[in-house]
This record gives sequence, C-alpha cells and structure tokens, in this order.
Amino acid sequence: MASSVFYKWASRKDESRVTFDGTGISVFDMKREIILANHMSKANDFDLYIYDATSKQEYQDDSFFIPRSSSVIVKRLPAARQGKGKASYYANGAGPSLPTSEAVSRGAGVPTWHKGAMSKRFDGKDEPQT
Amino acid sequence: MADTPTLSVTMLGAGQEVGRSCCVLHYRGKTIVCDAGVHPAHSGMASLPFIDDLDWSTVDAILITHFHLDHAAALTYITEKTNFGDGKGKVYMTHPTKAVHKFMMQDYVRMSSSTSDALFSPLDMTKSLAAIIPVSVHQLITVCPGVSFTPYHAGHVLGACMFLIDIYGLKILYTGDYSREEDRHLVKAELPPVRPDVLIVESTFGTQTLEGREEKEQRFTNLVHSIVKRNGHCLLPTFALGRAQELLLILDEYWKKHPDLHNIPIYYASSLARKCMSVYQTYIHTMNANIRSRFAKRDNPFVFKHISNVPPQRGWEKKIAEGPPCVVLASPGFMDNGPSRELFELWASDSRNGLIVTGYSIEGTLAREITNEPEEFTSMKGNTIQRKISVEGISFSAHVDFSQNSEFIELVGAQHVVLVHGEQTAMGRLRAAMNSRYKERNEDVKIHTPRNLETLQLSFRGERVAKAIGA
Ligand SMILES: [Zn+2]
Ligand SMILES: [Zn+2]
Repeated sequence: MASSVFYKWASRKDESRVTFDGTGISVFDMKREIILANHMSKANDFDLYIYDATSKQEYQDDSFFIPRSSSVIVKRLPAARQGKGKASYYANGAGPSLPTSEAVSRGAGVPTWHKGAMSKRFDGKDEPQT
Repeated sequence: MADTPTLSVTMLGAGQEVGRSCCVLHYRGKTIVCDAGVHPAHSGMASLPFIDDLDWSTVDAILITHFHLDHAAALTYITEKTNFGDGKGKVYMTHPTKAVHKFMMQDYVRMSSSTSDALFSPLDMTKSLAAIIPVSVHQLITVCPGVSFTPYHAGHVLGACMFLIDIYGLKILYTGDYSREEDRHLVKAELPPVRPDVLIVESTFGTQTLEGREEKEQRFTNLVHSIVKRNGHCLLPTFALGRAQELLLILDEYWKKHPDLHNIPIYYASSLARKCMSVYQTYIHTMNANIRSRFAKRDNPFVFKHISNVPPQRGWEKKIAEGPPCVVLASPGFMDNGPSRELFELWASDSRNGLIVTGYSIEGTLAREITNEPEEFTSMKGNTIQRKISVEGISFSAHVDFSQNSEFIELVGAQHVVLVHGEQTAMGRLRAAMNSRYKERNEDVKIHTPRNLETLQLSFRGERVAKAIGA
C-alpha cells in the first residue's frame, strides 16, 4: 500500500497529501512533489519551506527523510534572491542522493535537525544579501 | 515615550514588482489588507501573493481598490481557502467594482477551470461574491471600533478608488492604481481633504514622462489609420474591460470623422465586455462631465456606431485574419493565450500588419517581450514564427507618470511614502528623484521601497503620536 505524508499550506484550511512507496520521503522529493502537484515549477520568484507540523521546526536538510503518515506545513515565500527561486531546480532534480558527499555521510538516516547536515543551503539563505 | 505604537506595512505582493497587489497594515492590534491580486505572468498557486505568513483570521478588513485581476483576483482564494472566514473580517469595494468584479471572476474561473491549476471552484466564487460589502465613494465606513475608511475617486478604470484609512487616529492613504488626467470617460484621481501620516502609492512608470493625452490620441489614431490604409490588419491586444472602453470611445469618434474608413470594420472581441456594458451604463453618473452631458442628450456614448462584435462562432480569428483589412481589439492584453495571441500569430509574418500595445505590459509576458521587436518568436505550438508585423507601444494604461505622481506625492504631504506596484529599477529611480527634491527643500520625508515580506516598521513624530496614545 502506498504511504503518504500530509501537507498543509500555512495559510490554508485543508490538507493535501503526497503519496509514495516506502517508509519515508526525502525533503527534496517532498518539495518536488508539491511543486509539481501545484504546477509551480515555472515560477522563479519563490522558495518552498517545509516545517514539522508539531514542532514547527523547518526541515532545512533536503536529504532528511520525513516518516510516512506525518504532517508538515508548507510555506511559499519570496526567493532569497529575486528571480533566483529554486522551483525548477526541485522540479527537474534527480533526487536527494546527489547533494554533497558530506551531506550523504553525515545525514545517513539520522534525523538531525538542520545545522550542519548540509554544507550549503539550497535556498541561498546563507549567501550574502545584496 | 516608552511604547510608541508603530505601524507595520508588509507587502505580500507588488513589493518591487507589478502584479498581485496585496498590502497588510497592522497598527495597535488592528489588521487591514489593501487589495488581493494575482500575478498575471504566473498561474495557479504561483500567481498568488505571499499569503502563507499571515493568520487571515486576524484580518479586520480587506479593501479592494479596483476590478483589475492584479488587484482583486486572489480575493476568492483568500476568503474561501484560508482561515479568513474564522475571524470577523469584512470585504469592501465600490458598487461598480463589485458589479464588474463578478463578471471578471466568472470569466477567470471559466478560463482556469480548463487548466489543471484552478485555485477555486465556481461555488467558492459565488460565496466570496456574496460576502462583499459594496460602498460608495466619499462614504465614511466604520469597520470596527477604532477602524474606519473613506474611498476617493482614483481615475484609472470604472469604480477605481483610493482608500483613506483611519486606525485609532493614524491615517494612511492607499492609492491603488490611479491617474491624474481626465480621459474620455473617467474623472481624475482626487486629492483627499485630509493630510495622512502615510502614503502608499503606485510607481508603475517610475520617473518616465508620458506624452499628453491629445498628442497620444493623435499618434494612436494616425497609426491605426496608416496600418489599414496600407492594407494591413491592426491588432490591439487589450483586456476586455477598463482601458478597452477608452480606446473604443476614441476609435468610434475618429471613424465618425473619417467617412473613408467606414468600410473598414473595427471588431471588439469580448463577450465579457458585452455583459459589462450594462454596468458601464448604470454607472454613467460616476463618470466625467463629458460623458454625463452626452448621456443627458440621449446620446449614449457606450452605444458605439462603428464597432462590430465578432461573429460568435469558433474559429472567428482565422476568418477575420484571412479577410480584408480591419482593426481588432482582442483580449488578453498580454497575449499569452486566447484570441489576441491567435491573431498575433496569424498576422505576425506580414509586414503590412500592425500591432499596437496600449497597456502597461508586465514583465514575463509576450506583450512585453514583443516591444523589443525580436526578429522571430515561438508560437504556442512551439514553431518559430518570423515577426514582420510592425510593433508600436502607446500607453493608455491610465497610471500617473513621473510629473503627475511626484506632484501628487507632494500635495498629499505624508511624512512616510511607501512606493509599491513598480519594478525594482523604476521604483529605485523614483525614490532617488523624490529624495533629492525633498533634500533640496530640507524636508524630512522618508521614501520606502519594501520588497515582498520585508516588513516596514513606521513610527511618527510630533503631535500625531501623543494624539494616538491619548485617543
Ligand atoms: Zn489597474
Ligand atoms: Zn495594477
């Protein structure tokens, strides 16, 4: 049977879900599924942020696995750098196994909350603002 | 001076961009949202303002300035899909805006239901429309204790208004799109009789100077005339409502004066506009003296003598395109799909034909791209088409230009000016120009250009603060 993770846009009343096979879905794939399901891949003006529904912590590590049947909150916020949103990066992306080797070795199945699991954020937040 | 209350201003859209206007004002526990538009260069979810960081149940009122989609089309999503309904928030717009908004949204829902990214259903739309409270210009409306507002004429399109908002004595003027030049049918924007503390003003044209009305109309009619005289077809992509009515008034009058043109048809391709003609006729009393006096003489200016509707059958675009010279007003104005796009592709490779872009073209749309006069472009089917058709831009978009905007900003005399609804560079230039004017005169006026979700915290000097606290 397919697994699901439920997501709710932060401003929306009702929930939606992403279905997949397995015990969890990576943050990267979750973002990709949401972007594709909502036909948002062409817009380059926003970034998606996913948060745990209970702790409200952001899933900053794209390789982190969200366990099946959990609920997340999604926000669409302006791209950190104007016109440099990552929607198409996620939409066309090959999946979470490709980021830096550091991320793979450190993130291996351990649910670390952001900070250090990735050497570099994909949303550009750690880049100097111009 | 411990807890001086500050006003926070957050743009959810139209911050350093044109499109999806949505401005959130928060002061002493009250929240007012001005406009709720979509971004015309995007569709579905991506076209919405950045609404995810606001708890919509805390909003006291949503005020919509005019019926254009970039100011009003996200309203249904917000009232029906967010938790807005869990709160006590009310929605306001003027009577004519509400009347036209209904038709605009029916059309919008019909267009988007044919794609997979529809944001809401016809039922949502009906519910949202029913909840809108219509108001009159110059009427003082109390939203809740401590919050009231008054609409003033903004010109621009039928029903458009600015809002002078009062939150516990703090006054904010939000202009929406406005024009300071009387045109064929509308009054120009008024200067409200009270000096507000904050002015939130559009900056579409930045520091650009637009040609005067007569000059512009003459250039327009001459151009149309020369295109049809060289045996070409003249395409005027325009939105069905708003500026189209102005163009029709100009063309109808010009044709009347030029009998040699009577055998050349002007087609107006919009069933939406036909439905809205009754709204225009109902609200003639809100238009300018010229229109009102013609109407009083039983000369209804919106009954056009030289304008024909297109044959109501599928494939009319091709029929007209293959026929003799003519002028066609077709929607949408940005030519991203629909009749205007189809006609453009059919006529693009014949140099006798002419395209006149009459509106402001938003970044990311074909109407904008084509003003660079590319040698070729990609059709909707993906083929490459040679562009030989002549391309000209003449702005009838009814936004203020630099001299009108700067004059209005100075007349309003607010201590804080927030520029919105303009592209980054246009807005930056306007800010620089205004700053140097104020500096010359040694006046302390702050000009702000916030990006989306970059919240401004404004505090106020002088009696204003004392009064607000004591109130
Ligand atoms: Zn407008
Ligand atoms: Zn606008």
